[in-house]
Amino acid sequence: MRKTASFMLFTLMAGALAASAGAEDFPSRDIDLIVPFDPGGAVDTTSRIIAETANKMLTGTEISVVNKSGGGGVVGQTFASKAAADGYTVLAMTSSVVTNPQMKGAGYSVDDFTPVALYSLDPQVIVVPSGSPIQTAEDFMAAAKEKTLNIVVAGVGTSHHMSGLAIERVTDVKFNYVPTKGFGAQVQAVAGGHVDGALWPLGEATAQAENGSVRILTIASESRHSRLPDVPTFQEAGIDIPIWATFRGWSVPKGTPEDVVAKLSGIMRATYEDPGYVKRMKAAGYDPVFRDAAGFKAVVDSYSKLTSVIIEEANLGK
Amino acid sequence: MDLILLGFSTLTAPLVLLTLVIGVVAGMIVGSIPGINDNIAFAVFIPFSFSMPPEQALALMVGVYCAAATGGAIPAIMIKVPGTASSLLTALDGNAMARKGAAGKALSIALTSSVVGGILSSIVLLLFAPSLAQVALRFGYVENFALAILGLSSVVGLLRGAVIKGAIAAVIGLLVANVGFSPVTGFPRYTFDNVNLIEGIPFVPLLVGLFGVAAMLELMVDIVKERHAGTKPSGLPEIGSMRLPGKLIRRLLPIWGGSAAIGNLIGMLPGAGMLMAIFLAYDQAARRFRRRFEGKPGEAEWGEGVPEGIAAPEAANNAVTASSMVPLLSLGIPGNSTSALFIGALAIHGMVPGPLLFTQHGHIAWMIIVAFLAANLIMWPIAYGVIKTVSQTIFAIPKQAMVGVIALLCLMGAYSDGANVFNMWVAVVAGIVAYSMRLAGIPLGPAILGLVLGPQLEASLANSLSISQGNWLVFFDPVSHPISAGMMLVSLALWIVPMLMSRRERASAK
Repeated sequence: MRKTASFMLFTLMAGALAASAGAEDFPSRDIDLIVPFDPGGAVDTTSRIIAETANKMLTGTEISVVNKSGGGGVVGQTFASKAAADGYTVLAMTSSVVTNPQMKGAGYSVDDFTPVALYSLDPQVIVVPSGSPIQTAEDFMAAAKEKTLNIVVAGVGTSHHMSGLAIERVTDVKFNYVPTKGFGAQVQAVAGGHVDGALWPLGEATAQAENGSVRILTIASESRHSRLPDVPTFQEAGIDIPIWATFRGWSVPKGTPEDVVAKLSGIMRATYEDPGYVKRMKAAGYDPVFRDAAGFKAVVDSYSKLTSVIIEEANLGK
Repeated sequence: MDLILLGFSTLTAPLVLLTLVIGVVAGMIVGSIPGINDNIAFAVFIPFSFSMPPEQALALMVGVYCAAATGGAIPAIMIKVPGTASSLLTALDGNAMARKGAAGKALSIALTSSVVGGILSSIVLLLFAPSLAQVALRFGYVENFALAILGLSSVVGLLRGAVIKGAIAAVIGLLVANVGFSPVTGFPRYTFDNVNLIEGIPFVPLLVGLFGVAAMLELMVDIVKERHAGTKPSGLPEIGSMRLPGKLIRRLLPIWGGSAAIGNLIGMLPGAGMLMAIFLAYDQAARRFRRRFEGKPGEAEWGEGVPEGIAAPEAANNAVTASSMVPLLSLGIPGNSTSALFIGALAIHGMVPGPLLFTQHGHIAWMIIVAFLAANLIMWPIAYGVIKTVSQTIFAIPKQAMVGVIALLCLMGAYSDGANVFNMWVAVVAGIVAYSMRLAGIPLGPAILGLVLGPQLEASLANSLSISQGNWLVFFDPVSHPISAGMMLVSLALWIVPMLMSRRERASAK
């Protein structure tokens, strides 16, 4: 018993030593960037672009992307929440971290993570098939008042489904949601005209709009998008939701020393200032942004406030 | 035509061609390691692809994608552990044939069928990609449900006599497919508050267990029995001659044609998946075998080493790889999770798959298509070489040591899918279940079919009914859903015709 206790004390001390040593010359070894999804998706692709750019600037150490998929992100997110708070385990944090505890019974809460930096904000858009008689956002709202439209969303309780519920809250329309797993199957349903429309993130919708299979009607952001100057915002279209966007950023387990968080945030800022990075992200269909730890925290908190009401009202919670 | 030539000249640049060859070799090796599949290979490779020119990066990916499906057949035949999910049916007849001392012949059939299926499909891709894409778009929720029913009807071809046990197996598969959050309501089912089960039982570790761990248990029992009997332990099957007689090739020609056509059609449909194509092709081959060869002298029983049982799934899976590019390149819709990674690879280089790809980056679009043809052509000699050298050496390992090797490979393969220890337990439990099913005489094939089709069946049924406001007749509507109505009738015939025939046989026997 005493042996175990002294061993534990030793480990604790060693851990504390390692942590304090880590704060000064961080990073002194490789950083694991946990992507809680399968390779090839949006989070994975953007994470790899970031790691690639940041690794050119780091000397002696590097950021390696680790895919820990399963459970709709919960497996990797839980892993990261339990990792040592030393900055060497970073989570590629998405909006699902906010909603998974309430909806999927994940063991962590969003407060178990300290936001580090935000690198992508993907506003919600409404799209219709290019062959649809619905031409504008007004047409869409009028059609939705006349009959219940069939709207594709990625799944029950996803951010996209909840954006639809949010629209129902502020207008007098009702949608019939068609949960469809996998973006390929969703495009198929919309482009093939099997549904009336879809709620998609802008990043993925852009490519489909560019190749002419869908039409973007309105975008849930505070101002019009530079690449889509003719597409009105939700508020301009009469939907009183100023912003609805999924986010991607970095976070670390709660309790990570502040200067380590600041250093990680600095790595992300330096990455963002690299012109090659911006070009590459844009080419891949993502608009790179940068918010530091405090800025990212504000985004997370506001999203958390918006969604928790909807989850409760729609009885989506577990 | 000019554009096709442009694609061809892009591909024949020495470095591009070299990366294609490297891709084929790598894919062959990756495919032949159980649990490690092309998805994982791509994940490892994507960081490198940033710094490569797009032509080379994509040639490499095409090589890996094509060859992985073929490489999977090698361990399937030699040790009854499919290297990739695409070769799970090959493990049945392939391993049976190998145990009868004709491993070389089995490997040769698998390899030739893969190449022929791949080439036929590449040619279709080359000629008809844009027009076929329009057919794929006609598949909505209603059509997908009808397709799943058609797939489920192919279970008839998997059964040999034991109808009840087969039905039990299919139901087990469908039930296991229920685990996870309901796609319709988001309600958790049989997850026991375990986050690893939120998306259902992870599929790759499940397959690794059902085949790999079960095969390991089988080998162990073999060894113990041999010890008890005091006989000299027999080794693993030797590869031996790989020559295919001309008569056999002529016999397999219609199987290749039929399976490639099935693979082509199913491969284009997002969400249908490679496994559905394999099951449908296998069913089609089983029916032909029963009509023509069953019971004749010198013929094995179905499932006990019949050449058609190897040729059909292998031709179909390589046909799927090429045709999954049809919706991807011409519409920007990924046909399966692996081809979705091509979108990532294209996106990294600033290219968007879809109609615009052919106009803005025509040389890349056509190069990818030509690369599929080329990859299949160079695959034959490369695979032959790999089998004759690497595989020959590996499978000369004594059985006892092989048990350890398989165990290690299986657990590693299960873990590497998502880097999760839970997956190793899934593999172990699935292996024990599969072995018990074997002892009880319950066939594994229908169970896997149920597992694969379950989620699709549920989601497409719920969404079809939701859109049609609860109208069940929508699946038989000849005006607005002719494809679905047609598939429903074919499914019905698949069940009724054998019943009528057996009744007539009984009547004439009296």
